[in-house]
Amino acid sequence: MRKSYFSCILPLTLVILTYSCKPFDPDPPRTPPASVEGYAPIYGSLATATTIRSTTPQDIVKGGKIYVKSDTLYQVEAGKGIHVISIAQPDVPHKLAFIEVSGCQEMAIMDNLLYTNNLNDLVVVNIQNIANVLEVDRITNTFHLVDADRPPGTGWFECVDPSRGDVVGWEMKTLNYPQCSH
Amino acid sequence: MNRLSSFLVILVASLCLYACSKDSAKSTTPGTAGQGGSLARFTIASNHLYIVDGQKLYAYSLANATTPQLKSTVELGFNIETIYSFKDKLFIGSQEAMYIYSLTNPAQPSKLGAASHVRACDPVVANDSIAYVTVRAGATCGGTQSALLVYDISNVLNPVQKNVTPLKSPYGLGLRDNRLYVCDGPNGLNVYDLSDPIRPQLLKQVKGEVFFDVIISDDLLICMIDGGTALFQLGANDAVTMMAKITN
Repeated sequence: MRKSYFSCILPLTLVILTYSCKPFDPDPPRTPPASVEGYAPIYGSLATATTIRSTTPQDIVKGGKIYVKSDTLYQVEAGKGIHVISIAQPDVPHKLAFIEVSGCQEMAIMDNLLYTNNLNDLVVVNIQNIANVLEVDRITNTFHLVDADRPPGTGWFECVDPSRGDVVGWEMKTLNYPQCSH
Repeated sequence: MNRLSSFLVILVASLCLYACSKDSAKSTTPGTAGQGGSLARFTIASNHLYIVDGQKLYAYSLANATTPQLKSTVELGFNIETIYSFKDKLFIGSQEAMYIYSLTNPAQPSKLGAASHVRACDPVVANDSIAYVTVRAGATCGGTQSALLVYDISNVLNPVQKNVTPLKSPYGLGLRDNRLYVCDGPNGLNVYDLSDPIRPQLLKQVKGEVFFDVIISDDLLICMIDGGTALFQLGANDAVTMMAKITN
Protein backbone atom coordinates (compact mmCIF):
# COMPACT_ATOMS: atom_id res chain seq x y z
CA MET A 1 0.00 0.00 0.00
CA ARG A 2 2.61 2.53 1.00
CA LYS A 3 4.70 1.66 -1.98
CA SER A 4 1.85 2.41 -4.42
CA TYR A 5 1.14 5.75 -2.77
CA PHE A 6 4.73 6.68 -3.06
CA SER A 7 4.86 5.79 -6.72
CA CYS A 8 1.94 8.21 -7.33
CA ILE A 9 2.93 11.07 -5.14
CA LEU A 10 6.50 11.46 -6.28
CA PRO A 11 5.76 11.90 -9.98
CA LEU A 12 2.82 14.14 -9.11
CA THR A 13 5.04 16.29 -6.95
CA LEU A 14 7.60 16.53 -9.69
CA VAL A 15 4.92 17.62 -12.15
CA ILE A 16 3.68 20.30 -9.75
CA LEU A 17 7.19 21.57 -9.13
CA THR A 18 7.91 21.74 -12.85
CA TYR A 19 4.91 23.93 -13.52
CA SER A 20 5.51 26.24 -10.61
CA CYS A 21 9.09 26.76 -11.74
CA LYS A 22 8.12 28.22 -15.14
CA PRO A 23 10.32 31.26 -16.04
CA PHE A 24 8.64 34.52 -14.88
CA ASP A 25 7.02 36.37 -17.79
CA PRO A 26 7.06 40.14 -16.99
CA ASP A 27 4.82 41.05 -19.91
CA PRO A 28 2.24 38.32 -20.41
CA PRO A 29 0.15 38.65 -23.59
CA ARG A 30 -3.13 40.54 -23.00
CA THR A 31 -6.28 38.88 -24.11
CA PRO A 32 -8.54 41.16 -26.18
CA PRO A 33 -11.82 41.65 -24.37
CA ALA A 34 -15.12 40.74 -26.00
CA SER A 35 -16.45 44.26 -25.57
CA VAL A 36 -14.62 47.41 -24.46
CA GLU A 37 -14.74 51.17 -25.02
CA GLY A 38 -11.91 52.28 -27.28
CA TYR A 39 -10.83 54.25 -30.34
CA ALA A 40 -11.38 53.27 -33.96
CA PRO A 41 -9.87 54.95 -37.05
CA ILE A 42 -11.92 57.28 -39.24
CA TYR A 43 -10.91 56.81 -42.87
CA GLY A 44 -10.76 59.39 -45.62
CA SER A 45 -8.56 60.44 -48.49
CA LEU A 46 -5.42 62.48 -48.02
CA ALA A 47 -5.47 63.31 -51.73
CA THR A 48 -8.35 65.73 -51.22
CA ALA A 49 -7.57 66.37 -47.57
CA THR A 50 -6.63 70.03 -47.85
CA THR A 51 -9.77 71.17 -49.65
CA ILE A 52 -11.84 73.38 -47.35
CA ARG A 53 -15.28 74.17 -48.74
CA SER A 54 -18.96 74.56 -47.95
CA THR A 55 -21.53 72.02 -48.97
CA THR A 56 -25.26 71.68 -48.41
CA PRO A 57 -26.19 70.39 -44.93
CA GLN A 58 -25.28 66.80 -44.19
CA ASP A 59 -26.42 64.17 -41.71
CA ILE A 60 -24.79 64.04 -38.29
CA VAL A 61 -23.09 60.65 -38.08
CA LYS A 62 -20.25 61.08 -35.57
CA GLY A 63 -21.26 64.26 -33.72
CA GLY A 64 -18.24 65.73 -31.93
CA LYS A 65 -17.30 68.89 -30.06
CA ILE A 66 -19.54 71.93 -30.06
CA TYR A 67 -19.04 75.69 -30.35
CA VAL A 68 -21.51 78.56 -30.22
CA LYS A 69 -21.35 82.06 -31.66
CA SER A 70 -24.00 84.59 -32.62
CA ASP A 71 -27.06 82.33 -32.51
CA THR A 72 -25.20 79.69 -34.49
CA LEU A 73 -24.14 76.28 -33.28
CA TYR A 74 -21.18 74.52 -34.83
CA GLN A 75 -20.65 70.79 -34.29
CA VAL A 76 -17.65 68.79 -35.45
CA GLU A 77 -18.37 65.77 -37.60
CA ALA A 78 -15.38 63.76 -36.41
CA GLY A 79 -12.68 63.58 -39.07
CA LYS A 80 -14.88 65.16 -41.74
CA GLY A 81 -15.87 68.77 -41.01
CA ILE A 82 -18.28 71.05 -39.23
CA HIS A 83 -22.08 71.21 -39.18
CA VAL A 84 -23.39 74.79 -39.10
CA ILE A 85 -26.78 75.05 -37.38
CA SER A 86 -28.90 78.12 -36.73
CA ILE A 87 -30.27 78.25 -33.18
CA ALA A 88 -31.77 81.72 -33.43
CA GLN A 89 -35.08 80.00 -32.67
CA PRO A 90 -34.07 77.24 -30.26
CA ASP A 91 -37.27 75.27 -30.69
CA VAL A 92 -36.73 75.02 -34.45
CA PRO A 93 -32.97 74.75 -35.06
CA HIS A 94 -32.02 74.18 -38.68
CA LYS A 95 -28.84 73.36 -40.52
CA LEU A 96 -27.37 76.09 -42.67
CA ALA A 97 -24.41 74.31 -44.28
CA PHE A 98 -21.60 71.82 -43.80
CA ILE A 99 -17.95 72.84 -43.99
CA GLU A 100 -15.66 70.08 -45.25
CA VAL A 101 -12.47 69.92 -43.20
CA SER A 102 -10.64 66.61 -43.36
CA GLY A 103 -9.33 65.46 -39.99
CA CYS A 104 -11.47 68.02 -38.16
CA GLN A 105 -11.58 67.71 -34.42
CA GLU A 106 -11.39 71.20 -32.88
CA MET A 107 -12.46 74.76 -33.58
CA ALA A 108 -12.73 78.31 -32.29
CA ILE A 109 -14.28 81.37 -33.92
CA MET A 110 -13.52 85.07 -33.68
CA ASP A 111 -15.67 87.52 -35.63
CA ASN A 112 -16.06 85.91 -39.07
CA LEU A 113 -12.94 83.76 -38.83
CA LEU A 114 -13.03 80.06 -37.99
CA TYR A 115 -9.82 78.48 -36.68
CA THR A 116 -9.79 74.72 -37.05
CA ASN A 117 -7.48 71.75 -37.57
CA ASN A 118 -7.20 70.23 -41.02
CA LEU A 119 -5.41 67.12 -39.79
CA ASN A 120 -2.29 68.64 -38.23
CA ASP A 121 -2.49 71.97 -40.06
CA LEU A 122 -4.02 75.06 -38.45
CA VAL A 123 -6.33 76.69 -40.99
CA VAL A 124 -8.16 80.01 -40.89
CA VAL A 125 -11.46 80.06 -42.75
CA ASN A 126 -13.55 83.13 -43.53
CA ILE A 127 -17.14 82.08 -42.75
CA GLN A 128 -18.84 85.38 -43.52
CA ASN A 129 -20.70 83.66 -46.37
CA ILE A 130 -21.46 80.25 -44.89
CA ALA A 131 -22.54 78.86 -48.24
CA ASN A 132 -19.12 79.63 -49.69
CA VAL A 133 -16.42 79.66 -47.02
CA LEU A 134 -12.88 80.60 -47.99
CA GLU A 135 -9.58 79.39 -46.59
CA VAL A 136 -7.52 82.50 -45.84
CA ASP A 137 -4.48 81.08 -44.08
CA ARG A 138 -2.80 77.76 -43.36
CA ILE A 139 0.03 76.83 -41.01
CA THR A 140 1.16 73.36 -41.95
CA ASN A 141 2.08 70.54 -39.60
CA THR A 142 1.95 72.79 -36.61
CA PHE A 143 0.64 70.46 -33.91
CA HIS A 144 0.05 66.79 -33.29
CA LEU A 145 -3.69 66.29 -33.00
CA VAL A 146 -4.25 63.48 -35.49
CA ASP A 147 -1.90 60.52 -35.50
CA ALA A 148 -2.14 58.13 -38.44
CA ASP A 149 -0.83 55.18 -36.41
CA ARG A 150 -2.54 55.36 -33.07
CA PRO A 151 -5.36 57.08 -31.23
CA PRO A 152 -5.20 60.05 -28.87
CA GLY A 153 -6.00 57.99 -25.78
CA THR A 154 -4.51 54.92 -24.13
CA GLY A 155 -6.06 51.46 -24.05
CA TRP A 156 -7.43 49.09 -26.68
CA PHE A 157 -8.05 50.34 -30.21
CA GLU A 158 -9.12 49.01 -33.58
CA CYS A 159 -5.97 48.46 -35.64
CA VAL A 160 -5.44 50.66 -38.71
CA ASP A 161 -6.39 48.89 -41.94
CA PRO A 162 -4.61 50.70 -44.82
CA SER A 163 -6.91 49.09 -47.38
CA ARG A 164 -9.76 51.22 -46.03
CA GLY A 165 -8.07 54.53 -46.80
CA ASP A 166 -6.04 57.13 -44.94
CA VAL A 167 -6.59 57.79 -41.25
CA VAL A 168 -8.15 61.25 -40.81
CA GLY A 169 -9.23 60.94 -37.20
CA TRP A 170 -10.30 58.68 -34.38
CA GLU A 171 -13.67 58.03 -32.76
CA MET A 172 -14.68 56.41 -29.50
CA LYS A 173 -16.89 53.37 -29.81
CA THR A 174 -17.55 49.93 -28.38
CA LEU A 175 -14.97 47.52 -29.76
CA ASN A 176 -15.30 43.76 -30.00
CA TYR A 177 -12.08 41.81 -29.54
CA PRO A 178 -9.77 44.69 -30.59
CA GLN A 179 -6.31 43.53 -31.57
CA CYS A 180 -4.26 46.67 -30.86
CA SER A 181 -3.49 48.58 -27.69
CA HIS A 182 -1.12 51.21 -26.32
CA MET B 1 -5.38 130.08 -59.44
CA ASN B 2 -8.60 129.57 -57.50
CA ARG B 3 -9.42 126.44 -59.46
CA LEU B 4 -5.94 125.07 -58.85
CA SER B 5 -6.21 125.80 -55.11
CA SER B 6 -9.56 124.05 -54.93
CA PHE B 7 -8.15 121.11 -56.79
CA LEU B 8 -5.19 120.89 -54.42
CA VAL B 9 -7.44 121.09 -51.36
CA ILE B 10 -9.61 118.31 -52.69
CA LEU B 11 -6.58 116.22 -53.57
CA VAL B 12 -5.01 116.62 -50.14
CA ALA B 13 -8.32 115.93 -48.40
CA SER B 14 -8.80 112.78 -50.46
CA LEU B 15 -5.33 111.58 -49.63
CA CYS B 16 -5.96 112.18 -45.97
CA LEU B 17 -9.21 110.28 -46.02
CA TYR B 18 -7.58 107.39 -47.85
CA ALA B 19 -4.71 107.27 -45.39
CA CYS B 20 -7.07 107.39 -42.40
CA SER B 21 -9.26 104.58 -43.71
CA LYS B 22 -6.19 102.47 -44.37
CA ASP B 23 -5.02 103.00 -40.81
CA SER B 24 -8.32 102.00 -39.27
CA ALA B 25 -8.26 98.74 -41.27
CA LYS B 26 -5.10 97.82 -39.41
CA SER B 27 -6.68 98.16 -35.97
CA THR B 28 -5.66 95.47 -33.51
CA THR B 29 -8.70 95.78 -31.25
CA PRO B 30 -9.51 92.21 -30.21
CA GLY B 31 -12.46 90.70 -32.00
CA THR B 32 -15.38 88.84 -30.46
CA ALA B 33 -14.93 85.15 -29.83
CA GLY B 34 -17.63 82.54 -29.36
CA GLN B 35 -17.76 79.82 -26.71
CA GLY B 36 -16.52 76.25 -26.78
CA GLY B 37 -17.26 73.44 -24.37
CA SER B 38 -15.02 72.10 -21.61
CA LEU B 39 -13.72 69.28 -23.83
CA ALA B 40 -12.07 71.78 -26.19
CA ARG B 41 -8.40 71.85 -27.18
CA PHE B 42 -8.70 75.30 -28.76
CA THR B 43 -9.60 78.47 -26.90
CA ILE B 44 -9.40 82.19 -27.71
CA ALA B 45 -8.43 84.58 -24.93
CA SER B 46 -6.49 87.86 -24.67
CA ASN B 47 -6.48 88.15 -28.48
CA HIS B 48 -4.58 84.87 -28.74
CA LEU B 49 -5.53 81.39 -29.90
CA TYR B 50 -4.33 78.76 -27.43
CA ILE B 51 -4.09 75.14 -28.55
CA VAL B 52 -3.15 71.96 -26.69
CA ASP B 53 -2.26 68.70 -28.36
CA GLY B 54 -1.16 65.59 -26.44
CA GLN B 55 2.01 67.21 -25.09
CA LYS B 56 2.24 70.94 -25.80
CA LEU B 57 0.56 74.30 -25.41
CA TYR B 58 0.79 76.62 -28.43
CA ALA B 59 0.11 80.39 -28.18
CA TYR B 60 -0.81 82.16 -31.44
CA SER B 61 -1.23 85.92 -31.58
CA LEU B 62 -4.40 87.05 -33.37
CA ALA B 63 -3.23 90.67 -33.64
CA ASN B 64 -3.68 90.10 -37.35
CA ALA B 65 -6.60 87.73 -37.16
CA THR B 66 -6.24 86.25 -40.64
CA THR B 67 -2.61 85.28 -40.06
CA PRO B 68 -2.04 83.81 -36.59
CA GLN B 69 1.57 84.15 -35.41
CA LEU B 70 3.07 81.47 -33.18
CA LYS B 71 4.50 83.25 -30.16
CA SER B 72 5.46 80.40 -27.86
CA THR B 73 5.29 76.66 -27.31
CA VAL B 74 5.23 75.13 -23.83
CA GLU B 75 6.03 71.50 -23.09
CA LEU B 76 3.32 70.36 -20.71
CA GLY B 77 3.88 66.63 -20.30
CA PHE B 78 1.84 63.74 -21.63
CA ASN B 79 -1.81 62.91 -22.21
CA ILE B 80 -2.89 66.56 -22.24
CA GLU B 81 -6.59 66.71 -23.09
CA THR B 82 -8.46 69.96 -22.51
CA ILE B 83 -8.04 73.72 -22.21
CA TYR B 84 -10.30 76.32 -20.58
CA SER B 85 -9.73 80.04 -20.17
CA PHE B 86 -11.07 82.35 -17.47
CA LYS B 87 -9.98 85.99 -17.37
CA ASP B 88 -6.18 85.97 -17.39
CA LYS B 89 -5.69 82.26 -16.74
CA LEU B 90 -5.66 78.99 -18.64
CA PHE B 91 -6.76 75.75 -16.99
CA ILE B 92 -5.38 72.67 -18.70
CA GLY B 93 -6.59 69.14 -18.02
CA SER B 94 -4.49 66.03 -18.51
CA GLN B 95 -4.79 62.42 -17.50
CA GLU B 96 -2.57 63.07 -14.50
CA ALA B 97 -3.27 66.60 -13.34
CA MET B 98 -4.86 70.03 -13.76
CA TYR B 99 -2.40 72.82 -14.67
CA ILE B 100 -2.99 76.56 -14.23
CA TYR B 101 -1.14 79.03 -16.47
CA SER B 102 -0.99 82.81 -16.30
CA LEU B 103 -1.81 84.97 -19.32
CA THR B 104 -0.34 88.14 -17.76
CA ASN B 105 1.90 88.05 -20.81
CA PRO B 106 -0.54 86.44 -23.28
CA ALA B 107 2.20 85.53 -25.76
CA GLN B 108 4.12 83.63 -23.10
CA PRO B 109 1.82 81.63 -20.81
CA SER B 110 3.64 80.86 -17.55
CA LYS B 111 2.89 78.09 -15.11
CA LEU B 112 1.27 79.10 -11.83
CA GLY B 113 0.27 75.85 -10.17
CA ALA B 114 -0.79 72.27 -10.63
CA ALA B 115 -2.91 69.70 -8.86
CA SER B 116 -2.28 66.04 -9.46
CA HIS B 117 -5.07 63.56 -9.33
CA VAL B 118 -5.56 59.88 -9.85
CA ARG B 119 -5.18 58.78 -13.43
CA ALA B 120 -8.33 59.75 -15.35
CA CYS B 121 -9.69 61.97 -18.12
CA ASP B 122 -10.47 65.42 -16.78
CA PRO B 123 -12.09 68.54 -18.18
CA VAL B 124 -11.91 71.67 -16.02
CA VAL B 125 -14.02 74.81 -15.51
CA ALA B 126 -13.15 77.56 -13.08
CA ASN B 127 -13.90 81.00 -11.67
CA ASP B 128 -11.79 83.36 -9.55
CA SER B 129 -11.55 81.06 -6.56
CA ILE B 130 -12.68 77.53 -7.43
CA ALA B 131 -11.88 74.98 -10.14
CA TYR B 132 -14.29 72.13 -10.85
CA VAL B 133 -12.83 69.04 -12.48
CA THR B 134 -14.48 65.81 -13.54
CA VAL B 135 -12.35 62.70 -13.53
CA ARG B 136 -13.51 59.68 -15.44
CA ALA B 137 -11.88 56.28 -15.13
CA GLY B 138 -12.22 53.80 -17.90
CA ALA B 139 -10.66 51.89 -20.70
CA THR B 140 -9.16 54.88 -22.54
CA CYS B 141 -8.41 57.04 -19.51
CA GLY B 142 -6.87 54.60 -17.10
CA GLY B 143 -7.51 54.70 -13.40
CA THR B 144 -10.52 53.62 -11.39
CA GLN B 145 -12.09 56.76 -9.90
CA SER B 146 -14.95 58.71 -11.49
CA ALA B 147 -15.96 61.87 -9.66
CA LEU B 148 -16.46 65.63 -9.51
CA LEU B 149 -13.48 67.24 -7.77
CA VAL B 150 -13.53 70.71 -6.24
CA TYR B 151 -10.28 72.67 -5.88
CA ASP B 152 -9.74 75.87 -3.91
CA ILE B 153 -7.58 78.01 -6.21
CA SER B 154 -7.65 81.21 -4.15
CA ASN B 155 -3.90 80.61 -3.86
CA VAL B 156 -3.45 79.75 -7.49
CA LEU B 157 0.15 78.61 -6.95
CA ASN B 158 -1.14 75.81 -4.73
CA PRO B 159 -4.56 74.40 -5.67
CA VAL B 160 -6.04 72.36 -2.82
CA GLN B 161 -8.63 69.66 -3.32
CA LYS B 162 -11.57 70.36 -1.07
CA ASN B 163 -14.31 67.96 -2.10
CA VAL B 164 -14.94 64.75 -4.02
CA THR B 165 -18.39 63.73 -5.27
CA PRO B 166 -18.45 60.24 -6.83
CA LEU B 167 -20.17 60.09 -10.21
CA LYS B 168 -20.76 57.25 -12.62
CA SER B 169 -19.36 58.48 -15.93
CA PRO B 170 -18.70 62.22 -15.95
CA TYR B 171 -17.59 64.06 -19.07
CA GLY B 172 -17.72 67.83 -19.68
CA LEU B 173 -19.14 70.54 -17.46
CA GLY B 174 -20.34 74.13 -17.54
CA LEU B 175 -20.25 76.88 -14.92
CA ARG B 176 -22.21 80.08 -14.59
CA ASP B 177 -22.70 82.13 -11.44
CA ASN B 178 -23.74 79.67 -8.74
CA ARG B 179 -24.83 76.85 -11.00
CA LEU B 180 -22.67 73.96 -12.20
CA TYR B 181 -23.85 71.62 -14.97
CA VAL B 182 -22.08 68.26 -15.14
CA CYS B 183 -22.56 65.82 -18.01
CA ASP B 184 -22.66 62.32 -16.52
CA GLY B 185 -22.83 60.39 -19.81
CA PRO B 186 -25.78 58.01 -19.96
CA ASN B 187 -26.69 58.90 -16.38
CA GLY B 188 -27.90 62.35 -17.32
CA LEU B 189 -27.05 66.01 -16.82
CA ASN B 190 -26.58 67.00 -13.17
CA VAL B 191 -27.47 70.53 -12.03
CA TYR B 192 -25.67 71.70 -8.86
CA ASP B 193 -26.24 74.68 -6.59
CA LEU B 194 -22.94 76.36 -5.72
CA SER B 195 -24.23 78.61 -2.91
CA ASP B 196 -21.55 76.83 -0.91
CA PRO B 197 -18.93 76.75 -3.68
CA ILE B 198 -16.89 74.00 -2.04
CA ARG B 199 -19.87 71.67 -1.58
CA PRO B 200 -21.97 71.47 -4.75
CA GLN B 201 -25.55 70.47 -3.93
CA LEU B 202 -27.36 68.37 -6.50
CA LEU B 203 -30.58 70.14 -7.46
CA LYS B 204 -31.79 67.90 -10.27
CA GLN B 205 -30.81 65.41 -12.93
CA VAL B 206 -31.97 65.74 -16.51
CA LYS B 207 -32.38 62.24 -17.91
CA GLY B 208 -33.09 60.75 -21.30
CA GLU B 209 -29.91 61.49 -23.22
CA VAL B 210 -26.23 60.59 -23.09
CA PHE B 211 -24.55 63.89 -22.16
CA PHE B 212 -20.93 64.65 -23.07
CA ASP B 213 -20.52 68.43 -22.87
CA VAL B 214 -22.44 71.63 -22.32
CA ILE B 215 -22.25 75.30 -23.32
CA ILE B 216 -24.31 77.89 -21.41
CA SER B 217 -25.44 80.75 -23.67
CA ASP B 218 -27.82 83.24 -22.05
CA ASP B 219 -30.81 81.11 -21.00
CA LEU B 220 -29.94 78.22 -23.26
CA LEU B 221 -28.03 75.02 -22.49
CA ILE B 222 -26.46 73.63 -25.65
CA CYS B 223 -25.50 70.01 -24.99
CA MET B 224 -23.30 67.66 -26.92
CA ILE B 225 -25.18 64.35 -26.72
CA ASP B 226 -24.75 60.95 -28.24
CA GLY B 227 -25.80 61.40 -31.86
CA GLY B 228 -25.64 65.20 -32.06
CA THR B 229 -26.82 68.10 -29.89
CA ALA B 230 -29.77 69.00 -27.69
CA LEU B 231 -31.01 72.48 -26.72
CA PHE B 232 -32.54 73.14 -23.30
CA GLN B 233 -34.21 76.32 -22.02
CA LEU B 234 -33.22 77.45 -18.53
CA GLY B 235 -36.19 78.83 -16.65
CA ALA B 236 -37.29 79.98 -13.23
CA ASN B 237 -36.55 77.70 -10.25
CA ASP B 238 -33.88 75.88 -12.23
CA ALA B 239 -36.35 74.53 -14.77
CA VAL B 240 -34.49 72.77 -17.61
CA THR B 241 -36.79 72.18 -20.57
CA MET B 242 -35.76 70.49 -23.79
CA MET B 243 -36.47 72.68 -26.80
CA ALA B 244 -35.04 70.54 -29.63
CA LYS B 245 -32.63 67.80 -30.57
CA ILE B 246 -30.48 67.70 -33.69
CA THR B 247 -29.36 64.12 -34.28
CA ASN B 248 -29.64 63.51 -37.99
